[in-house]
Amino acid sequence: MSEATQSVSELIDQLAKLPGIGKKSAERLAYHLLHVHKSEALALADAIRDVRENVRYCKTCFNLSEKDTCELCGDPRREDRLLCVVEQPRDVMALEQTGMFRGRYHVLLGRIAPLDGVGPDQLTIDALVGRVRAGGIEEVIMATNPNVEGDGTALYISNLLADLPVRVTRLARGITTGSVLEFANKEMLSDALSGRQAF
Amino acid sequence: MPPENATAIVLRTIEFSETSLVVSLFTREHGKLGVLAKGARRLKGPFESALDLLAVCRIVFLRKSSEALDLLTEAKLLRRFRMDSRSLAGLYGGYYVAELLSELTHEYDPHPELFDLADQTLVRLAEGVAVARDVLRFELHLLRHLGLLPSLEQCVGCGCDVPAGGRVAFGHWDGGVLCPKCRPGKRQVASVRSDVLRTMVQLAESGEPSTEPMDNRTRGELRGLMNHYFAHLLGKKPKMQAYLGWDQT
Repeated sequence: MSEATQSVSELIDQLAKLPGIGKKSAERLAYHLLHVHKSEALALADAIRDVRENVRYCKTCFNLSEKDTCELCGDPRREDRLLCVVEQPRDVMALEQTGMFRGRYHVLLGRIAPLDGVGPDQLTIDALVGRVRAGGIEEVIMATNPNVEGDGTALYISNLLADLPVRVTRLARGITTGSVLEFANKEMLSDALSGRQAF
Repeated sequence: MPPENATAIVLRTIEFSETSLVVSLFTREHGKLGVLAKGARRLKGPFESALDLLAVCRIVFLRKSSEALDLLTEAKLLRRFRMDSRSLAGLYGGYYVAELLSELTHEYDPHPELFDLADQTLVRLAEGVAVARDVLRFELHLLRHLGLLPSLEQCVGCGCDVPAGGRVAFGHWDGGVLCPKCRPGKRQVASVRSDVLRTMVQLAESGEPSTEPMDNRTRGELRGLMNHYFAHLLGKKPKMQAYLGWDQT
């Protein structure tokens, strides 16, 4: 097989840098882009350029936004008294898809992971504390991931907020809806028992 | 190669792709392992969210003969690291245990007693009762298991008993205490109270963990000595050392 041209090789190299894309997948994508209509390929290039040039972090909640303030922060119908704290912008998208939460968000842009060299100073925790101090928030819902690092991050923040007049809660965890107790493991059952709620 | 079983502590996880993880494990049967867990980030699968930091799990893996990572095929959670207190000291102590195991042990070099010690230490750290003492005890027992425990009573230069009382020279490069005759000319030497050395001996020899309180001065001096000693052993400062100051228990 003959060598790809320099620009095709360059495209393959760039695509192969994307997460989850190996050399073979990058080649497949590159040849796909060569076969589709030119306008379709260029639309992808424009979309990448647009996202890099226009998307930034919201100044209030650090969600992704094309303006200084994101749509969620700018929506007057949302409840100011509820603040949901998540690790990443994609967590906001996941929670929004449920349609169950009508409060505000705060994105930490990571979790405290000292073994990976990520400390509290590298997250947006100071801004979060500032928002709570400013008043108007009655409940902070910690929606960090339910693992050791997520729990550690939630605990760190809840300790910081301990002296402020705000209720700090954690997302419930336990048995999956639709499953059966018999097959739930010990950890799920103990989580479900400790997080039980009144009818 | 047939599948192999082991009991493991999760030391580190690194996202490998959209759904997979590279996991560093410390196993009772095989020592440290680096494995690829395909699909581990999915909620459903053969790993049942068992691959969380500091969790203890029962694993099945396939050993690779080439330089590729071993393949983890199953993990069943035995115990998750759950903080019983609102203090982060126990969690950071647990991370430190994982870091030391990761840095100081080798792949396929089993230390069952060290595994049991780490397992026991993690349970105690999660309780958060005597974190400083538990971390120090773990460090000293770890050093003893790996043959790296510094000489605490006999001079590393001439072998004589170092006199008790007052302050004693501790050579980080030399690996233990130095008598007044051997001390001159040595580099990287700390001056340590003999009370601190006595506490180190007690912790290194203690069969069972204790919750006996340690005075602030001894704890601080001992912490400084161990920080320096581990930094010397590893050739770098462990990442978690900066977080051990959180610990006031």
